Amino acid sequence: MIVAGRSGGEGVRLVLESEEAMLLSELADQVDSVLLLGEADDPALGRLLPNAYPDDMSASHEFARYTRDSLVDGKRQAAQRVRDATAVESAGDGVVQIELDQSEAWGWLTFLTDLRLILAERVGIIEEGEDTADETRDDYLRAAYEWAGFVQGSMLEVLDPTDS
Amino acid sequence: MTSTLEQQATELRERIAAEVPWRTVVWDDPVNLMSYVSYVFRTYFGYPREKAERLMLQVHTEGRAVVATGNREAMERHVEAMHGYGLQATVSRAES
Repeated sequence: MIVAGRSGGEGVRLVLESEEAMLLSELADQVDSVLLLGEADDPALGRLLPNAYPDDMSASHEFARYTRDSLVDGKRQAAQRVRDATAVESAGDGVVQIELDQSEAWGWLTFLTDLRLILAERVGIIEEGEDTADETRDDYLRAAYEWAGFVQGSMLEVLDPTDS
Repeated sequence: MTSTLEQQATELRERIAAEVPWRTVVWDDPVNLMSYVSYVFRTYFGYPREKAERLMLQVHTEGRAVVATGNREAMERHVEAMHGYGLQATVSRAES
């Protein structure tokens, strides 16, 4: 994957191998499913939709009642846009090029965050640097987690260069 | 004279405190990249780079930071936005 600036404009240009595009499309579809199914006992949802009032149950319910639908909608839309932008017919089709303006790039950044929050929950990343994961089960998910972080970090370096 | 001024200043401070009794708190999590958190603070709140970096580092090292204060409705809007960005944020009443 190549992450670069856009010639003559703000935003970011992504070049993905078709295998990478397929993987990302699949992961985006899974994020959408987690949000669509919204199973109350799924701890990943607690990371995507945190409790705004941990010490006040009734305020917490009120907040969730007023915000949850639009938060879920926004997150699902971001995931669906990534899924659609990376949809390829089959592997081996060469590369997929994607141009994102500033606002589209934000959709990708927030999607990558949600993806990493879900993957972190699945592989048991609880404390920074602490490895409590079941490695046999989670190698694939952990690799996807690291990769999504790499993509997000690369996008941020383009969108927000620190040495300027 | 002095005591009157002091009293007025105290009353003013109390009034300001009463008007901004709510906080938006962002909590550390092991997932989000530091560069992302800082970029969110700058883009969403419009904070200058230095302030955004300081708040991000405070979240990272102290476990949390108060990123905004104000009335309850405004803080709830901020927390909703933070959740949209995937940050762990809560609304709390400022300690008097």
